[in-house]
Amino acid sequence: MRMSLRACMWAPARLCRSKPMASSAHSIKAVAPATARPSTGTLRRRSPRMRSAFPYLLVAPAVLYLLAITLYPGIFAIYQSLFVVRFVKWTWAGLDNYERILQDAEFWAALWNTIIVGGLSLGLQTVIALALAYFAYRDPLIRGWRIIYLMPMLFMPSAVAFMWKLAFNDGRVISDLLMTIGLTHGNVDWLASVWLARLTLIVADVWQWTPFLFIIFVAALQGQDQEIEEAARLDGASWPAIFWNISLPMMRPVIVVAVTLRGIDITTMFTNVYIMTQGSPGGATETMSFFIYRQGFRMFNFGYASAASVLMLAMTILIAQTLVKRAFRSGRS
Amino acid sequence: MASIQLNNIVKRFGSFVGVENMSLDIADEEFLVLLGPSGCGKTTTMRMIAGLEHPTGGQIVIGGEVVNEIDARDRDVAMVFQGYALYPNMSIYDNIRFPLRMRKVPADQHDRLIRRAAEMVELGAFLDRKPGALSGGQRQRAALARAVVREPQVFLMDEPLSNLDAKLRASMRVQIKHMQRQLKVTTVYVTHDQIEAMTLADRIVIMNRGIIQQVGTPDEIYSDPANTFVAGFIGSPPMNLLAGEARDGIFRSEGIEVPCPRTVTGSVTLGIRPEDCTVGGGHLQGMVYGVEPTGDITYLTVQTGKRAVEIKAARDFRAPIDTPISIGFDLSRLYFFSENGERIRRPA
Repeated sequence: MRMSLRACMWAPARLCRSKPMASSAHSIKAVAPATARPSTGTLRRRSPRMRSAFPYLLVAPAVLYLLAITLYPGIFAIYQSLFVVRFVKWTWAGLDNYERILQDAEFWAALWNTIIVGGLSLGLQTVIALALAYFAYRDPLIRGWRIIYLMPMLFMPSAVAFMWKLAFNDGRVISDLLMTIGLTHGNVDWLASVWLARLTLIVADVWQWTPFLFIIFVAALQGQDQEIEEAARLDGASWPAIFWNISLPMMRPVIVVAVTLRGIDITTMFTNVYIMTQGSPGGATETMSFFIYRQGFRMFNFGYASAASVLMLAMTILIAQTLVKRAFRSGRS
Repeated sequence: MASIQLNNIVKRFGSFVGVENMSLDIADEEFLVLLGPSGCGKTTTMRMIAGLEHPTGGQIVIGGEVVNEIDARDRDVAMVFQGYALYPNMSIYDNIRFPLRMRKVPADQHDRLIRRAAEMVELGAFLDRKPGALSGGQRQRAALARAVVREPQVFLMDEPLSNLDAKLRASMRVQIKHMQRQLKVTTVYVTHDQIEAMTLADRIVIMNRGIIQQVGTPDEIYSDPANTFVAGFIGSPPMNLLAGEARDGIFRSEGIEVPCPRTVTGSVTLGIRPEDCTVGGGHLQGMVYGVEPTGDITYLTVQTGKRAVEIKAARDFRAPIDTPISIGFDLSRLYFFSENGERIRRPA
């Protein structure tokens, strides 16, 4: 009795289910040829070669665009660096440009300035960003309002440079402030001293770019495993001890990548130099970018400038590559 | 070593009540297990003892001292986390050493203490590895070693075995119990696994929706449940709970007729454990729904009306489905619960 009742219950369901399935299959069969035929027709007209090339054609515009603005100028620079270029007159020079550059005191000075200004600036902003991130990451307000801290980064670089030029040199705002709190008597001539001039560049760069590192560090700290933090609390670690012993080592790959990106950016520092100091006093703030610009667009030694660019590119790649590689290798083991 | 008292502890998260008015005395050297389904407040309770959560109200006393305002790092409490929470950048040796360094234990004692803790959990051979190079069970043991190395007043364990496979879990269970007896440290252990609770605990606290349902030894919890929640939560399969009517000393429900105390009347729930049922006996009439042999015992499911009743039958019991069957109950092991789920106890 029970068995038969179950069978009765199943029977209509099976009937019900089979019907619409059959009809839907039928409808697909009926519709498919009508819509599919024209499209297969056009596809068939394409040659097999065309068909295999199609995906490449789709990405071609983007690839061409990228090649045109990165690879082509790069190769052009390498090519040009082998010539002495006087406007339209190119004279083959081989590696002469490189030989002359390596003996050029101005080149070495520019390299040194870049390292000094860039290194101090990078170190300073990394430390400040880490410190800020450490104090801020547990604050719920930071989560919601990260974008506010990005503000300096969103301003146009030249506008920022002009702002600091006004504050340091033309407007003497900083000098006034220093006088008010009694640190200096009289006006400070920021461009008269090598280190003060460099300081203005460093301050401007730190002000604009610390937020970039700060945001990345805060994200890394907020992303770390909460349980590990709690375990460390119960093991008796203070917040600074947790940060120093656990958070910081775990953040290492993030720190290295962020600092490398920032470092690459800093080696090409140009806007602030161009607007704020023009390399003065006596070339003490002339960075590599400004040196290249001066050789190319003021003295029109295009071959020479190209050679300097190539050298700088090679150095940047070499340093960045070793840094990143080392950071990730030791992070893994 | 210390006792713990919770006095009217309340924890609210906004309008959500995590723990409601909880009071509990945990004796020195006791192994106490907090047991309950997820979201019942057991982990919250433990985190309040640890100092990782601040109670909304009430008092927490550890070793005779009110610790409400004492920071987690100063409570001398060690905790083993569900996800182990080892420091991935340090070797196992340095992981175990971390609490010693942070608590300013003299450096010349570190090595001896670390090796002793590692021996206790049989981890001596892995001290120079990083946590990433260990298996789940080894990581768990490393976390245990880190907790025991500084001999804290209280151990807290938050589902420490739930990420391990079944076989490893069983062997780790014994190790944890052995270690606790050896060290004689007051331990609070959170789990949703009743086997862990029954096997490890001196006393079990069963919680549901932030409220303690029953506190007792594993035996008391099992054989003397306070309400239908405890009865239905403990045991595998859990106690059969059958709603019905009791009048004039007889409990009746669809297919069931058993004698009951005359004090039990009205709509009540009958509880009977699967092992207190026998095939044949005439208290329950139903149909065989399924037979599941497991080797040492056979699980029999009997359908009566719309309900299924679980029975532990003899290992060689077999029956085809949909055949009528009669089941007898051990009348000395019947439990009756009132409509609100509370146990109806015989007047003593």
